[in-house]
Amino acid sequence: MNEKFILRKDHLTGFLRKLSKGHRLVAPVRNRYGDLMFQVIDSLETTDLDLSEQAQESPKAFFLPQEEVLFSYEASGGIYDFRPINNSEQTVYFGLRSCDISAILYMDVIFLRSPRDDHYMKKRKDSILISIGCNTPGENCFCNATRTGPFLEYGFDLQFTDLGDRFFVESGRARGDEIFSEWPQFFHPVTEEDVRLQYQLALEAKAGFRRQIHVEPAFSKLRDDAVDTAVWREMASRCDGCGGCAYICPTCTCFTIFDRMESTETGKRIRAWDSCTHAGFTRMAGGHNPVDMKIDALRRRFMHKLYYDYSAFRRPSCVGCGRCVDMCFGGVDIVKFIDIVCAGTRKRTRDSRRILGDLLLEAGLISRTDLEKALSRQADTGEALGKILMDLGLVTCAEILGVLSLENM
Amino acid sequence: MINRDLITRNINSRNTSNTYLPHPAVITEVITENSQIKTFVLEFTDKTLNTNFSYESGQFVMLSVPHHGEAPISISSTPTRPGNIHLSVRIAGRLTTALHKMEPGMTLGIRGPYGRPFPVHIMEGRDLLFVAGGIGLAPLRSVINYCLDRTGRYGTMTILYGSRLPSDIAFRQDLDIWSTLPGITCLTTVDTPEPGWTGHVGVVTTLWDHIQISPSDCTALVCGPPMMIKFVLRDLAGMSFSPDFVITTMERHMKCGVGLCGHCYMGGKLVCTDGPVFSMAELKDMDIEELR
Repeated sequence: MNEKFILRKDHLTGFLRKLSKGHRLVAPVRNRYGDLMFQVIDSLETTDLDLSEQAQESPKAFFLPQEEVLFSYEASGGIYDFRPINNSEQTVYFGLRSCDISAILYMDVIFLRSPRDDHYMKKRKDSILISIGCNTPGENCFCNATRTGPFLEYGFDLQFTDLGDRFFVESGRARGDEIFSEWPQFFHPVTEEDVRLQYQLALEAKAGFRRQIHVEPAFSKLRDDAVDTAVWREMASRCDGCGGCAYICPTCTCFTIFDRMESTETGKRIRAWDSCTHAGFTRMAGGHNPVDMKIDALRRRFMHKLYYDYSAFRRPSCVGCGRCVDMCFGGVDIVKFIDIVCAGTRKRTRDSRRILGDLLLEAGLISRTDLEKALSRQADTGEALGKILMDLGLVTCAEILGVLSLENM
Repeated sequence: MINRDLITRNINSRNTSNTYLPHPAVITEVITENSQIKTFVLEFTDKTLNTNFSYESGQFVMLSVPHHGEAPISISSTPTRPGNIHLSVRIAGRLTTALHKMEPGMTLGIRGPYGRPFPVHIMEGRDLLFVAGGIGLAPLRSVINYCLDRTGRYGTMTILYGSRLPSDIAFRQDLDIWSTLPGITCLTTVDTPEPGWTGHVGVVTTLWDHIQISPSDCTALVCGPPMMIKFVLRDLAGMSFSPDFVITTMERHMKCGVGLCGHCYMGGKLVCTDGPVFSMAELKDMDIEELR
């Protein structure tokens, strides 16, 4: 593993043609509407791959299809029979991004635990994953903050780096090494110059992010339950429950299961994508819903992605692909959430005395004389300003929390 | 801490080739418990599976009803009486309505058992208090009969059962048997009396004055509607029950039963694999919507 070779760009089509013999090839292609999507490529002669930017959708649907048949059944009289279905094909995935690979690794953790999901496992076993590192991170990308890119150390079978007229190709798994040895005619030894250039590009890519997203501080805030109810309320009021964020998210794997009747005696059991922001997600038979959909659903969504998964796997189940940013028309995407949550932190820690005092002044809850009295006592005792103001009977705890929560918005 | 160490995480998966494939099971008997609850007695079509099917009290199965998909149903029979399993189901939605129309001889689909069972090992040698409301008696019926079948291992048993109306009282056969057994106190109460009702009236927590329990020697198992659980847990905490020895079950919408579909995600845990049985100590560490 970790072997390195050079593949000339004009050899790419030939290489992919050989590699995809007996396999399905999935790669990013721009369709006639201008959308860049992963799709099954029937002929490399008539289809142009487009590696210029991140695809609009992740390859999630190839591993967890939006709708998938789990088995078919027959039910008549006393008979109720179930017939398993195999819906996997040997597939080469080419042009995945680091975030896509990281998302697949996350799905592995979910679906290949005990008990493993046989449908997912079959598709994973049948897959060859070839990624391309991002020399220029996209507009909404923040995989630097989630540590899932722009280049990866592991997880791929092969990782490509675009060096201009040639690709720098490295293997991350035994399957990648097999590819090198199976088609040696395409691969040339790397020079010192190639290695240096690849290293430099990967380094420059890290500096190319346009967004600074504070994923870890957000984790701390959620862990300490320090996100104000007002923040959840505001986010909830802007969420229309369309589920777009979950559908576009490469790590959102929640699904529903239902029967599709095909005749009075036969049917199929279907699994389909679901979203925790849908009103019916937690509704039980008879209509009782233990979760208040407006606020609790969003709280659970962000707690799950940024806190619970972080606690369980030491990494958030957000891979920083930024796709939900463009998807959400209410601005309730994960980036906005982290920004709002962390904005409060920075303001408060920078100079909490001045801020709290000013906020209470602005709100007309204390006079300037009151504030100066409290500040001078603080200089003596070192107590928290809020406590002093409460001790002096100038404000109540609720009033302090009130102004702070407004400030967090 | 005791509970968390002793209740082992239980993910049961028989090694079927397909996680989601059910096994056909025939209805051999339907017991009408009240106007809304029926108990279905089921035997697997596969005789070997029927003999070898093993489960523990508190676990559930995913029940398939032709053309209606699946629902999680807790097993109301005890593993000490093998040969069939009982599923007691209240009419609630589409699937259960279809199920209630089914008769002996018809076939259903079952996969499981799933979920963490009641911690029967930490209950040994202790007094037991069972508090149930409505259909909540179904999983407790399993563990009560389990404890009865293993005579001498447990202290005194107290069963409190609340129903809305006298005509709603389910599991009458079991309640009649339990009421006559020595060493068992079995009280029922109704929220609203009907003509001819001479028993207790009031929610189940009004029965505290009628029973003798010593909280330090007692394990409480609580199962019922969320509102009942909330108030019973509050009262038990007030009586200084140790949170490790107050056991309850949580209910959530579920699709897969095996920890994958995400529907039953609750306070960082999955009800299907981390629960449905939780101790009060565990629930305190979680953010649970209905107990707030």
